[in-house]
Amino acid sequence: MPASPPEPLLRVSGVTHRFGPVTALWDVDLDVRRGDFVAIFGPNGAGKTTLLKVVASLIQPSEGSVEFPGDEGGRELVGYVSHQSLLYNEMSGLENLEFYGRLYGLGDPLGLARAMLERMGLTEAGDLLVRGYSRGMKQRLTLARALLHEPRLLLLDEPYTGLDQHGSRLLTEVLRSLRRDGRTVLLITHNLGEGLELSTRVVIQHRGEVVFQARRDEVDRESLERIYFEAVEK
Amino acid sequence: MRQVRLIWVLAWKDLRVEYRSRQAFLTTLFFALLILIIFNFAFDPGSPATREAAPGILWASLIFPGVIQLNRSFQAEAEEGTLYGIVLSPVDRGVIFLGKQLANWIFMLAIDLFILVAFVVFYNFSFSWSLLWIVLLLVLATAGFTAVGTVFAAMLSSIRGRDVLLPVLLFPILVPIIVAAVNATQEVLLIGEFEFFEKWVQLLVSFDVIYLAAGFLVFDYVVGE
Repeated sequence: MPASPPEPLLRVSGVTHRFGPVTALWDVDLDVRRGDFVAIFGPNGAGKTTLLKVVASLIQPSEGSVEFPGDEGGRELVGYVSHQSLLYNEMSGLENLEFYGRLYGLGDPLGLARAMLERMGLTEAGDLLVRGYSRGMKQRLTLARALLHEPRLLLLDEPYTGLDQHGSRLLTEVLRSLRRDGRTVLLITHNLGEGLELSTRVVIQHRGEVVFQARRDEVDRESLERIYFEAVEK
Repeated sequence: MRQVRLIWVLAWKDLRVEYRSRQAFLTTLFFALLILIIFNFAFDPGSPATREAAPGILWASLIFPGVIQLNRSFQAEAEEGTLYGIVLSPVDRGVIFLGKQLANWIFMLAIDLFILVAFVVFYNFSFSWSLLWIVLLLVLATAGFTAVGTVFAAMLSSIRGRDVLLPVLLFPILVPIIVAAVNATQEVLLIGEFEFFEKWVQLLVSFDVIYLAAGFLVFDYVVGE
């Protein structure tokens, strides 16, 4: 008898969400397994950010459920990187991470904050106020904040937004290392090539619905582009 | 004990950010001083009418500018989305409320003390021990003010026009606190007899407890979506 597939880390079942008369998500089902790196593509207004906010429990869905089968606990299971940095400009990088470390009840917040800064290549900038950081440094610090408490699932909402080429390259290296470490990641991006390269699974979302999902080895760049444009131009 | 520590961690973060930016502190203090000065020019400083109106002037110069601070405390969180960062952490949302309220309270008390000194000077009152009763009133009234204000400022933080909406929603709810504070101040400064002072203080304490408890309980819904 074949072994049953392992239980997913995240199960999104029949999630619908409405903002007044606007339906942002429509009956979304999505299972994410441990170690999956899921890239979610879709045009603006497809409901990608809303989906991530629902998973992060920032929004309660109008219908359906979000579960972490086999995991007890709540918001600490998730690390979240949004369009905004979620960082305090008037605090240094180290102070920001230490502050979040204390909120998450980590054992040695200052030590962990220093270690995380080192991992992101920000040791020297650790004592500088965040308002003096470049966009790329800020984005790496944002990732450090999201990873500080070792979340089971990392949610990345268009992390490439506003980055120059150098910043994008550094971010891609960090994301590659996350994939190598077997992190479970949900990544929203407009960049099909970048997303496809990083992912183990791809999802296309349009008008609030998941219209396509496949394993990485089932699609190549050309077929993904074709499927994407067919889906969004319908 | 961990919850108390978290309240302080949250409040300390706000105080540190404000200390470094000084955006709200200087604006609020300047606005408060301006109200005191305008009333000082509008009335004859030594006249009985001015002394009679003085308690109202003191509280008007504290409450109206206080709205700037309340707005600013969540506007700063909304700008970089840091409120999401806090809300995503496993900290109880009631604790988040108490941390924000504590920071607003400490901040407002610092303004209050500056303004009290300026008020005594501008309106020809003497520096005496009885001013300690006024300090007690400042502590109690500001606790209630910041409790309600923190909830409403959080609720309106992502809404356009929040600067206009906050006072409109806030002041009607603050009426009991303002009435109690003005009347108790009048007893201390003008009458010199503490006939109803205890009653006004009891009223302030009661509303503080109600507003703090309500804020603690509803904050989850306020920042929930």
